[in-house]
Amino acid sequence: MRRAALALFGLVALAVGTAAAHPQAWRWDIPAGMAAPEVPADNPMSAAKVELGRRLFYDADLSIDGTMSCASCHEQKRAFADGNRTRPGVHGDPGRRNVPGLANVAYLSPLTWADPRLSTLEAQSAVPVFGDNPVEMGMKGQEAELVRRLSKDKCYRRMFRAAFPKERGKIEPATVAKALGAFQRTLLSYASPYDRDTLSAEARRGKALFARHCATCHSGANFSDGRFHAIESEVAPSDPGLAETSGRAEDRGKFRTPGLRNAGLTAPYLHDGSAATLGEAIRRHAFAVPAVNQLTAEQSADLVALLEALTDRTFASDPRFAYPERFCGKPS
Amino acid sequence: MNRCLAFAASALAAFALPAASHAEDAHKPACEGVPAPLPAELAGWHDRAPLNAAKRADRIGKATLSIGQGADAVLVRTADVKYVLRPEKPGGSVSYGGLFAFTAEQAGTFRVALGSGAWIDVVKDGKAIESTAHGHGPDCSGVRKMVDFPLEAGSYILQIAANRQAQLPLLVTRLP
Repeated sequence: MRRAALALFGLVALAVGTAAAHPQAWRWDIPAGMAAPEVPADNPMSAAKVELGRRLFYDADLSIDGTMSCASCHEQKRAFADGNRTRPGVHGDPGRRNVPGLANVAYLSPLTWADPRLSTLEAQSAVPVFGDNPVEMGMKGQEAELVRRLSKDKCYRRMFRAAFPKERGKIEPATVAKALGAFQRTLLSYASPYDRDTLSAEARRGKALFARHCATCHSGANFSDGRFHAIESEVAPSDPGLAETSGRAEDRGKFRTPGLRNAGLTAPYLHDGSAATLGEAIRRHAFAVPAVNQLTAEQSADLVALLEALTDRTFASDPRFAYPERFCGKPS
Repeated sequence: MNRCLAFAASALAAFALPAASHAEDAHKPACEGVPAPLPAELAGWHDRAPLNAAKRADRIGKATLSIGQGADAVLVRTADVKYVLRPEKPGGSVSYGGLFAFTAEQAGTFRVALGSGAWIDVVKDGKAIESTAHGHGPDCSGVRKMVDFPLEAGSYILQIAANRQAQLPLLVTRLP
């Protein structure tokens, strides 16, 4: 994040950001001076759409057996990460990759660990809901069933009409994806000690180390360059990373640099969740960042302190992002 | 994810957890029809009696679990359940849930063992009890999820939510 934006955090404004490529204004809750995230031209933000997306995000009817919602894996108290290495799907298929947190996901692209084709939240939502590599929510081929479930709910019908007036409230996978995308774009997090410039002495030392050794890849306001890197020399046969979609041998073991927002809440770490702690995650970078091997114990602790200071605990309890208390005016 | 944990009290996560939690379930060992041996506190798992879930707390009397006695619980459609408090992870309209009562005669740590990864809450006076550990049962035992709760003597409600089917093997037991 730019220093000016950090210094001005105390004056956070409800900046009026104009969503790209459309005239509709949306009040983004971001620090003053920060550019609003880009929004697909065919999915402008609206309060009704965000409200609908929030309900859908917490609705287990998006899974084949009604047992798993988006929030089953993206838990707010963990900054919308999961807490497990990976997460099995509704049929028990093992998960392949660690569930990422969602803070400021509006600013991240590409999305997910190793698929550069997934550049929008609208496209990404189909992966857990309808995907089969692995099966997560198990709705592949069940688009009509999803529509049936949502359509039978009077409140949903009303919410879709409010959110998608041009589409006449059509309930279909595309409008579900748009609503989910709109809600996720509101998951903004800029109240960490780092943002507030209230770092401990330890974290300040860690910040200097981070700038020297980590910030090339973990760059920008959300600490990700959005590019794919191999941080270890060994590649698990079960997951070739970027090579899976690119088909290029040199992409084996490359995964997108994860953002580090709320790192203190999103353990375990790395693409397969195999690093239980931040300290371990740092040590696992030794192949890509040899300087890691030269860090003293104190320096490692300083880096961990910096990463912990990227954690915005208000985000993890913000009622605007929680399970809605009411649907259409009635208790949920 | 955590791989299937061999049964031992120490295998349960020894840190505070939310009142209920989905245990992980990716590891499926090859079982050959031989029930796994169970520790004494889970002995009632293999001797289960049918028990219908209640839809609401004021009709929970017949849905009472005996401590240490397994039950083949029969759940109801989620939409028909009136939970005492909203489960943290409610099931969808096509899932199943229900309410059960049980009594802790003495204070202690009580373990809820399930044959699925359903969401559970143990509720007292309208508030969920914070669990202290969770994990899996022994391989091939059918116990998919176990959650421990520190309970005072008294009456409790066990809420089940987001189960994929109406049938659910279930056991509440007091740990030694």
